Amino acid sequence: MRRREFLALAGAAVAAPVIPKASAQVQNWPDKPVKLILPYAPGGGTDLIGRPWAEKLGQSFHQQFIIENRGGAGGMIGTEAASKAAPDGYTFLLTPNATLSVLPNLRKTPYDPKSFLAVARVGDFVTGFSLHPAVGPKTFQEMIAYAKANPGKLSYGSAGLGTATHLRIEMLKYRAGIDILHVPYRGSADALNDHLPNTVQMMNEINTIPHVKAGKLLLLNINNPARHPDFPDVPTLSECGYPNSDVPIWYALYAPAGTPKAIVAKLNAKIVELADSDEMRERMRSINTVVPTQTPEEMVAYLEADTARNVELIKATDMKLE
Amino acid sequence: MEIAGLLANLGLGFSVAVSLQNLLWCLAGAVIGTAIGVLPGVGPVATMALLLPVTYVLPAEGALIMLAGIYYGAQYGGSTTAILVNLPGESSSVVTTLDGYQMARQGRAGPALAIAALGSFFAGCVATVAIALAAPPLTRLAQQFTPPDYFSLMTLGLVFAIVLARGSVLKAFGMVFLGMLLGLIGTDVNTGNLRYTFGISDLFDGIGFVPLAMGVFGIAEIIANLTNPERADLVSSKVSGLLPTREDMQRSIAPILRGTVLGGLLGILPGGGAILASFSAYTLEKKFSRTPEKFGTGMIEGVAAPESANNAAAQTSFIPMLTLGIPSNAVMAMMIGGMMIHGIVPGPQVMEQRPGLFWGMIVSMWFGNLMLIVLNLPLIGIWVRLLLVPYRLLAIAILFFCCIGVYSLNNSANEVLMIAVFGLFGYLLMKLDFEPAPLLLGFLLGPMMEVYMRRTMLLSRGDPWVFIQRPLSLCFLVLAALLLAFIVLPNVRKAREAAFQE
Repeated sequence: MRRREFLALAGAAVAAPVIPKASAQVQNWPDKPVKLILPYAPGGGTDLIGRPWAEKLGQSFHQQFIIENRGGAGGMIGTEAASKAAPDGYTFLLTPNATLSVLPNLRKTPYDPKSFLAVARVGDFVTGFSLHPAVGPKTFQEMIAYAKANPGKLSYGSAGLGTATHLRIEMLKYRAGIDILHVPYRGSADALNDHLPNTVQMMNEINTIPHVKAGKLLLLNINNPARHPDFPDVPTLSECGYPNSDVPIWYALYAPAGTPKAIVAKLNAKIVELADSDEMRERMRSINTVVPTQTPEEMVAYLEADTARNVELIKATDMKLE
Repeated sequence: MEIAGLLANLGLGFSVAVSLQNLLWCLAGAVIGTAIGVLPGVGPVATMALLLPVTYVLPAEGALIMLAGIYYGAQYGGSTTAILVNLPGESSSVVTTLDGYQMARQGRAGPALAIAALGSFFAGCVATVAIALAAPPLTRLAQQFTPPDYFSLMTLGLVFAIVLARGSVLKAFGMVFLGMLLGLIGTDVNTGNLRYTFGISDLFDGIGFVPLAMGVFGIAEIIANLTNPERADLVSSKVSGLLPTREDMQRSIAPILRGTVLGGLLGILPGGGAILASFSAYTLEKKFSRTPEKFGTGMIEGVAAPESANNAAAQTSFIPMLTLGIPSNAVMAMMIGGMMIHGIVPGPQVMEQRPGLFWGMIVSMWFGNLMLIVLNLPLIGIWVRLLLVPYRLLAIAILFFCCIGVYSLNNSANEVLMIAVFGLFGYLLMKLDFEPAPLLLGFLLGPMMEVYMRRTMLLSRGDPWVFIQRPLSLCFLVLAALLLAFIVLPNVRKAREAAFQE
């Protein structure tokens, strides 16, 4: 007996160098709960997208995926925490593009956007520019014509400086050469309250959709490469003549740099598989979200292109914080 | 049409409030409210502050129903201690001690308790209907509000907060101002500038409402209570014969009606609420009485009126919060905190976007009042025993609970540190006789005022005249100016001081 035990141990010791430690780690991953850091307070858009994913990933891997809301400082606190987490495949960051492709170009951030590995896209909010019907214009082109004829007369509400709700309209202003006054709010719910009575005439946010359906607001276009299934008649921004501007508010999963590549690949494959399931598609559609599937490499390229566009806009419009 | 709409709304509210889960939260609120009402030194503001983080795990309806229950529940419980042991369990029950305790000494504790509970119940039912009737038209009015109107309304609210605060006007003014300054810490919405953050990233979003409220109200109160010697000799009198006599009832009807109306009106005023209502109702009753000199010797009117008034005011103070999203007192500030935790922006849109929540909460108040009368009359003996729990043990449990609660909100250890700092600060304020409520109102309203002011200026393209061109805004500003001028007049100030002395 003793001898046999000894042999078994010896065998294991010999085998060990052949199978690297990291690989065993990958094979069994995840063998303990996985933490998803959301850099915003509970109840917002990130939560809306993050919760279904945590639930479905948990079911598929038979392991808990725990959401940790680390809100604060426009997403910087949670993102910083994720950048400092151990790269062992048990901590990830689920964030909209703002924290990585916008904020670092506007102010000093306590993290480097390069200290993250791209894992997978988890959802794009499909929305567009909404306009209050009392203003007059009915279509995107009419709005542009109106804004050109009445410079500075229109105003739009954003969820705050540096958010996608701010940048997308700034991008349009820049590309179309029109002047629309920016009124920043603390969050999009607050902005919507002023948009509905026409205190601000425009917005670019997901929460306007129910009011568009109720006929209280007009949806001029879709900021997404494809049209919105619920609004087949509303053109995309590219169709309106502004190609390369129709970037949605996009959410993705990132890992701290140094996380084993194999774990990233495994998680990416599972997310892609889930994204194509009817159930997930339906759940995402109910929150006006689509999930484009990309490999980690494709996502890196997408993030770089997004960053470059934002840098161009920020430079051209001399936007700054601090 | 209006009536049909009202009934439909109440029906919707009923369907929400009557669900088993929500009834349980309502009961939980009523029980907690009664308990902290009975215990001297633990108030509803502190309790709600301590419970705020916990409500995050509840559905929004349940959370708000429970928080509301704590507030009006405390009005019931407070009278028990006031009558039986001559200690106000709640600051709004201070005047109840005057005649209530005298009645108890004459062996008439039962009738005093019964009248207090019945008066509260009546007032609670009337106030619930008042909210249901007043909320829709006020909400429609509020939907017309533009940024300058909000700015001016908040200015008026802050002036009221100063006028109605107890103690020195100067101190109240200082507290409002300090609150506003604390509220300005963080990232400026319009420019993204960081203000007073000293590079500490935890301050980029400003000081959290929960740590501030919990520290200044909750922790500070615990420290203050622990420095007081314990009173072990509290409960001696036995309660027997709950039923009031026919004469008691007859004498109480008019005071209950007057108390309800007065309390209901004072509750709506910004800065008003249960405390002011009970004091005013007592004074009013004295004026109406043919034997004012007998007040303080066990007059049942002196129990009936303030107890009805404080409950009516506790409930009608929900009206400005629900329709305008503006807190009229510290408790409503807590309710707003509770809404914000659930991602609900308080304001006129709540009624439209979350009708179930809105009407469910209102209808739950009626259920809550019904539960409270059951809790408080037959079960009175149990509540009285609560006074036997040594406070030093209670305090440890509460502190433990607080730390976990605050930590779980943002998973931030720094916020736990913050409640400690604000707790000490709050204790200091208490010792120096500064009231913390105006601080909290300034903290909430100050930054909102700034945002509305700058938004107004942005939208008017820099033209300040909009503040007086809008009729609503002009109205509020004129009222605020008059009120301010009024309290600086020396004889008005004396009258106010006298009123608060009583």
